[in-house]
Amino acid sequence: MHMLRRDKKEEEEGGGNPFHNLEKSVVLQETRLFNETPINPKKCGHILTKLLYLINQGESIGTTEATEAFFAMTKLFQAKDPVLRRLVYLGIKEMSKIANDVIIVTSSLMKDMTGKDDQFRGPAIRALCSITDNTMLQSIERYMKQAIVDKNHAVSSAALVSSLHLSKGSQDVIKRWVNEAQEAVSSDNIMVQYHALGLLYHIRKYDRLAVTKLVSKFSKHSLKSPYAYCLLIRIASKLMEEEGAGTDSPMFDFIENCLRHKSEIVIYEAAHAIVNLKNTTAKELSSAVPVLQLFCSSPKPTLRFAAIRTLNKVAMKHPSVVSSCNLELENLITDTNRSIATLAITTLLKTGSESSVDRLMKQISSFMNEISDEFKIVVVQAIQSLCLKFPRKHNVLMNFLSSMLRDEGGFDYKKAIVESVITIIEENPEAKEAGLGHLCEFIEDCEHTVLATKILHLLGREGPRTPTPSKYIRFIYNRVILENAAVRAAAVTALAKFGAHCEELLPSCSVLLERCLLDTDDEVRDRATFYVDVLKQKQKALNSAYILNGLQVSVVGLERALHNYTLEPSEAPFDLKTVPLDTQPVSEQKVREPGDSVSKATDKVVASTQDIYAERLAAVPEFSNLGSLFKSSSLPVELTESETEYMVQCVKHCFGRYMVFQFDCTNTLNDQVLENVTVHMDPAEGFDVMKYVQCPSLPYNKPGTTYTMVRLPEDPTQVTGTFSCTLKFIVKDCDPNTGEADDDGYEDEYVLEDVEVTVADHVQRVIKPNFGGAWEEIGPENELEDTFALSTVKSLEEAVKNIIQFMGMQPCERSDKVQEGKSSHSLFLSGVYRGGHDALVRAKLAMSDSGVTMQLTVRSTDPYVSEVLVTAIG
Amino acid sequence: MGFFDKLAKWLGLKKKDANVIVVGLDNSGKTTIINHLKPKETKSHDIVPTIGFTVEKFTSSALSITAFDMSGQGRYRNLWEHYYTECQGIIFVIDSSDKLRMVVAKEELDQLLNHPKITNRRIPVLFFANKMDVREAISSVKVSSLLQLEQIENMKNKPWHICASNALTGEGLMEGVEWISDQLRDIIDGGK
Ligand SMILES: Nc1nc2c(ncn2[C@@H]2O[C@H](COP(=O)(O)OP(=O)(O)OP(=O)(O)O)[C@@H](O)[C@H]2O)c(=O)[nH]1
Ligand SMILES: [Mg+2]
Repeated sequence: MHMLRRDKKEEEEGGGNPFHNLEKSVVLQETRLFNETPINPKKCGHILTKLLYLINQGESIGTTEATEAFFAMTKLFQAKDPVLRRLVYLGIKEMSKIANDVIIVTSSLMKDMTGKDDQFRGPAIRALCSITDNTMLQSIERYMKQAIVDKNHAVSSAALVSSLHLSKGSQDVIKRWVNEAQEAVSSDNIMVQYHALGLLYHIRKYDRLAVTKLVSKFSKHSLKSPYAYCLLIRIASKLMEEEGAGTDSPMFDFIENCLRHKSEIVIYEAAHAIVNLKNTTAKELSSAVPVLQLFCSSPKPTLRFAAIRTLNKVAMKHPSVVSSCNLELENLITDTNRSIATLAITTLLKTGSESSVDRLMKQISSFMNEISDEFKIVVVQAIQSLCLKFPRKHNVLMNFLSSMLRDEGGFDYKKAIVESVITIIEENPEAKEAGLGHLCEFIEDCEHTVLATKILHLLGREGPRTPTPSKYIRFIYNRVILENAAVRAAAVTALAKFGAHCEELLPSCSVLLERCLLDTDDEVRDRATFYVDVLKQKQKALNSAYILNGLQVSVVGLERALHNYTLEPSEAPFDLKTVPLDTQPVSEQKVREPGDSVSKATDKVVASTQDIYAERLAAVPEFSNLGSLFKSSSLPVELTESETEYMVQCVKHCFGRYMVFQFDCTNTLNDQVLENVTVHMDPAEGFDVMKYVQCPSLPYNKPGTTYTMVRLPEDPTQVTGTFSCTLKFIVKDCDPNTGEADDDGYEDEYVLEDVEVTVADHVQRVIKPNFGGAWEEIGPENELEDTFALSTVKSLEEAVKNIIQFMGMQPCERSDKVQEGKSSHSLFLSGVYRGGHDALVRAKLAMSDSGVTMQLTVRSTDPYVSEVLVTAIG
Repeated sequence: MGFFDKLAKWLGLKKKDANVIVVGLDNSGKTTIINHLKPKETKSHDIVPTIGFTVEKFTSSALSITAFDMSGQGRYRNLWEHYYTECQGIIFVIDSSDKLRMVVAKEELDQLLNHPKITNRRIPVLFFANKMDVREAISSVKVSSLLQLEQIENMKNKPWHICASNALTGEGLMEGVEWISDQLRDIIDGGK
């Protein structure tokens, strides 16, 4: 009995895999057998298979061992056994990146690729290209060209695909193979044609004109290969996207024509392309939709899957398309293929009416356990968008999500659920309490540190502002007792926030925090000590600055500033004001699309665009004493029309007392080189141009940068102005082919559009997670208030949008979202003004017959800043 | 396997196998020599500098020989040693018209013969003083004195032989091949 059980267990683990118990060192030892003569092909083949298996399992092999095994393997070239030889090719490909001196097999492979044995030729080409680097490419070029146009299809395909791989290293050499690729496109073999078109496109893909020609040529001269057609459709739709082309484009005609192709794969590809085009309207869709509809009821599961997946993706964008397929979709709900069923249901959920939600949710819960995490995530995202669409349904949907949270599932799945719950909470205040409740339950038994800390952070931010904050304390404190250090630290911070925000909870929070003072982990102890001390002071301003709102600097910037400080130690204490602020991505508080990758990106500390600018400016000696960069304008402004001789973009960089204008210039004339390029600025009143940093040379199509530095006016309230700009340079004519320029040139200039400096250029967006706290913290000392009538504005949304843009400040408390149907709204903005002054704005907006009236209140740590901000709108 | 091969095997007449390594400086004619020795149908018409190595098979009257034709370019010479362990014989090819690099050839030869995987084993060494047809070519006697082949005598375990050859016509090749296969057969049979 005991024996039997063990056998069963082994079987489960190994799954009947004969290689299950392989030991790397043993297999490597065995490869020495390759050195023995005569060769035993069967034995060697088996050993090589084991080695390949290990490598494919991700087993890492050291360079020395790999090289030794590789050289042993090269001796197998003696054997003519075809199975063994093909295993050797695989071995070469797998080991080409881990062993040294792999070029040793070059001649052997070249011999096979040009040899008489057709079954060796293709694989030899693939192996050869995997060991060939740029320096060696020349020596195989001739053979590759021949192979591309070889009569044997497998050889030709292998050469074409390998060329694609090679081009990753060296685009230049491959470019010379364009004639051969062209010849191969007219092959009557469908694979060769497809691969050849792929290579041809790859060679030309950076040349839009050439790509356009390619598409128009092959769309007429009909291709034989359906795969080539599919590729051509993709190329065409990409082109349309890049050009912003509409349906009058010949590209579109081509794609639409493909809907009548005889091959299903082409028809599908065309329909897929049309519904995914940016600028499609109901009219164009009308041709593609019947196709998808038909495929939805195809007996082939692949077609059903493809069609429903496409519909699912575009469901939100084109609800009408989906609803015209409703009948078919309803039939797919019970499809035996669960992937198809899931997609059908979630598609219907996304587009269906509120009344159908309950029925569909019931249907889907009947097989939730049968589908993979990947599709469960699709369900989660569908639920999230439903919640946003039917806020009243949040109870049913939230419950569903919370039951999913309790179910088995991997990290990605759980993360998707948690993020959905968070999004719903943020979008729908009514769902907040229920959502926080579910999350509290989840962290009671959550194995993922990342998710637990994320939820604790959310609890700390939102919990204190709910009607009954006290009920969250237990859940949070449990974490302090039960979890690992990272989670404990997050819990301590959350506790402190409750203490700082809710006076009635302060005593108990303090007691709980004091219990953490003896924690075994440094971070937890440090945090607790800090919070206990701050809370003891019982000062609202301190609570706001150090607990509720926290640091506002960019982490990358702080790191750099501290590093510099330690390099040049000084008596003066480190000044936090010199650290660049954490710039808020503009989209931060926007509704996250389900499955958006925004959250992924923010998981890591990344250098922002501004950090990158700061580094670039620091490298210019002329700017070495300007102090730290305060703000860079987010999007470059075009100072030239598109498709003119020269293209110039401007980015504004604001320092404490100076402004640096960065002009990125491109010369689009191939018969000219510009030298000593500068941008002359006619300064607005009070501004003085101090320095020009020229771009020494601007050859054709190679972007270059010149800077103009301006001193800001003495008067602290004078901060805006308009600058007229002129590009000045010396022109030298040059040979378009070689780029060689004449010795003599002449001075010339080119008038650019004006550059505006606005209030927003002096303000950095900084979020205050607790706006109320921050408002109290600054206090009424420099408060200014004014009332405005915004007569040209027609809605509250528009007013909000304009104000945010004007002030260049960060909306807090999601106040950039105006609730539907309301006639008044409060907008809260926060930011830091040049010089490090905190600034807060409260705008109370009300709709009236004549537009929108606004009462604007500004608080700041500096009186002039308040003045500048109040007059920004005027 | 053709019918006669099968028959030969059945009769116990199958030739014994031997492994040799073909080395020497680049452009000395190694690949051309091997190509000449190969059976007609596998001959190649287009010989380019070798990168790495290729394996070729040919037969002498006594043996079936597997030759590892190595690349002679400077940067690849350090890879020869990976193939020393299995080789039973060495064919060292010299371009007799390349007087300038005779010293380089000598240096490589010394390194080869003193290599731990070679030096203590009994291995016959065949020298081809190749390109004898070229006008500036020096005689095989001159080549052996420049390479100081007489010193190999002292090693005892390295029987050697030098032939002047012309790989384009095949002149001199058979003599050398017969010599080395006799040597190899002695070793193989003696080892039994
Ligand atoms: N005249 C003459 N030319 C020869 C002779 N043997 C070889 N060649 C030529 O010498 C050149 C080099 O020959 P290969 O066989 O490639 O030389 P290799 O030793 O294999 O060179 P690597 O592979 O680079 O080490 C070719 O152009 C041959 O035609 C010969 O006996 N006489
Ligand atoms: Mg060669």
